[in-house]
Amino acid sequence: MLFRRLNKMQKRIALTAFLFIAPVLIYNIIFKIIPIFISLYLSFTDFSGFGIPNMIGFSNYTDLFGNGEFWNAVLRTMQFSVEVLPLNMLISLLLALLVNQSIKGIGIFRAIYYLPVITPMVAASMIWLWLYDPQIGVLNFILSLFSIPPVNFLRDPNTALHSIVAMRVWRGAGWNMLIYLAGLQGISKNLYEAASIDGARTFQRFTKITLPLLRPVHLYVLIVGLINTLQTFTEVYVMTNGGPLESTTTVGLLIYKTAFDYMKMGYASAMSFILGILIMVLSVTGFVWRKEKGVRA
Amino acid sequence: MKKLILVVLFVSLFLVAGLAKDRVTVWFAGTTESLMNEVESTMIPEFESENPDIELVVEFIPWGELSTKLTTSFAGGIGPDIFMHGQAAIAGFVENGLIMPIDGFLSSIEDVSDFGSAIDVGIYKGENYFIPVFGSGRLLAYRADFFEEAGLDPEQAPDTWEQLRYFASKTTERVNNQIKVAGLDIPVEGQNLQQVWTSFLIENNGSLFDDEFNPTFNSPEGVEALEFYVDLILKDKVASEYGLTAIGNLAPIAAGTTAITFIDVETMSAAKKYAPDIYDEIKLAFPPERYRRAGFYSFAGFMVSKSTKNLDSTIKALSYLTSKDSIVEINEAIGSLPPRQSASEAEFIASDPVLKKFVEGAKYAFGNPNVPFWVQARDILAKYLERAVKGVMEPKEALDEAAKEIIKLK
Repeated sequence: MLFRRLNKMQKRIALTAFLFIAPVLIYNIIFKIIPIFISLYLSFTDFSGFGIPNMIGFSNYTDLFGNGEFWNAVLRTMQFSVEVLPLNMLISLLLALLVNQSIKGIGIFRAIYYLPVITPMVAASMIWLWLYDPQIGVLNFILSLFSIPPVNFLRDPNTALHSIVAMRVWRGAGWNMLIYLAGLQGISKNLYEAASIDGARTFQRFTKITLPLLRPVHLYVLIVGLINTLQTFTEVYVMTNGGPLESTTTVGLLIYKTAFDYMKMGYASAMSFILGILIMVLSVTGFVWRKEKGVRA
Repeated sequence: MKKLILVVLFVSLFLVAGLAKDRVTVWFAGTTESLMNEVESTMIPEFESENPDIELVVEFIPWGELSTKLTTSFAGGIGPDIFMHGQAAIAGFVENGLIMPIDGFLSSIEDVSDFGSAIDVGIYKGENYFIPVFGSGRLLAYRADFFEEAGLDPEQAPDTWEQLRYFASKTTERVNNQIKVAGLDIPVEGQNLQQVWTSFLIENNGSLFDDEFNPTFNSPEGVEALEFYVDLILKDKVASEYGLTAIGNLAPIAAGTTAITFIDVETMSAAKKYAPDIYDEIKLAFPPERYRRAGFYSFAGFMVSKSTKNLDSTIKALSYLTSKDSIVEINEAIGSLPPRQSASEAEFIASDPVLKKFVEGAKYAFGNPNVPFWVQARDILAKYLERAVKGVMEPKEALDEAAKEIIKLK
């Protein structure tokens, strides 16, 4: 309808624009949108990964509500997110403030802090496995200098999840640092100058100007971080495989095991949908909160 | 002219069709370089020269990715004709209609009786689905030098449960109440915990499942075996409650952080390669006895996909890959245990006392049960065993809960 109203030139521009976005659009439809619907369909079946799926209604979902292992994984995943996100945001912001200085060679520091982001997760996990090793790990070596007995970071249920949190914060801080840096550079210098003239000190300028004006960035980092951390898989798969005592079993890991180890693709699809709904609810809550607070993206 | 072109086209079509080879795809599990070299440089050319009408396409899949890749490839209709997997996967694949029984083709396999009882590990509900190719086992290993230092006879391995406990306590070294050298290294989590504990279960005359796939491991024998296992860690404190980790390429026994352990062929090979001096101090023995001895042995072998398109060619490939010569070549390349009895006389076994000991130990072998829901049952059992080992649950309670959860999978 709208297309008809366009003149020839406008139609040509619209078609060209569509051609430009077509590869991404087609990719997303084939590899993202269609699989979502297939997965939704599979969640109502007993599909094992082979053969023909049989419809079983809501059985997978009703089973899941009584599945303690699943809810333990949901809790662990939430705990992981709750620990990672504030730490990640705080450290990213501090790093961004540091690398926002006009010092010669600051680009080198920006690149160094960003390096963990481009390290593949499996490689990063292997490095941290070595750091955490109770016998030859660097961290335990440092502890031994203070006569502290070795800690079994990844084998003690009291420390395993926190240890993975530390690794995840290390790896994710560089990315968010960049987002915060962009946010910081978007704040007009005039505001700081005016505040200085009015006698505001550094800390006051930070709390009264920087933090409030970064609110949209906080929200973006929080929501994107939430979406990512709730899908955590690789690091727990490599570092602990969900142990000890299921203290690091995330929903992502449980979905993988259920689908590929136990050959319960339908059941795993139902788990994925519950996780998807959880992510959606939390994300929408974040957006609604943003709207209520009048935060502009 | 047109007719001539048509004739040429038809002739070339028939020629191409005539020259086209049957393609048989085989997935090997594991990416050991020596095996890949052997298969690619010797076995494939040999097979293809003997069977010029068949193209043998071999892929090597890391063990960790095997299940995922099989699931996705079969779901996508591009699965291999023949693939390798552990024997424990048989029942699951059968129930999912993925593999075909091979009883009808066994006559094509060279001297099947040479496999002895190993060929039976592939039997599920009365039909055979599996030809074993290589095996691995666990035997007891101890450090003779540590035994000597502790005043024990370095030639005397722990022969009973009581001796195992006593020898482990004699060789345990502590500094500031922390274990410096664990008398015994036993797994405390995961699949390894399930495998090693199951050897104690069977030594105590217990079993994992009955013929109808009902859990039987929570019998009094099972509870006693788990109590003994847990006591070694929590009461006698001769084993680390967190388990020991390898130091670089060295397993704890080679790294000197334990005196006794249950070891497999691959770990012994690594010790020989990376710690040749210490390797001489590591002695092998059969598992300790309670009412009987038991060591976990498992086979990886070939299964035939139900969706194979060229069955005749597939069977020819299967027959070649499991022949006496091929089994020796494969096992020699990876230093593992051949399932064919004749292969135990092969030079690489006869000249290696360690491999020879593992071959002898096969008489005490037990493997994973052919239960359709085994992988999930194994993980559930491991989860509750870990709870007992970490003191979160009493052994009886842990086994009962595991049985309760596993029976729901039936």
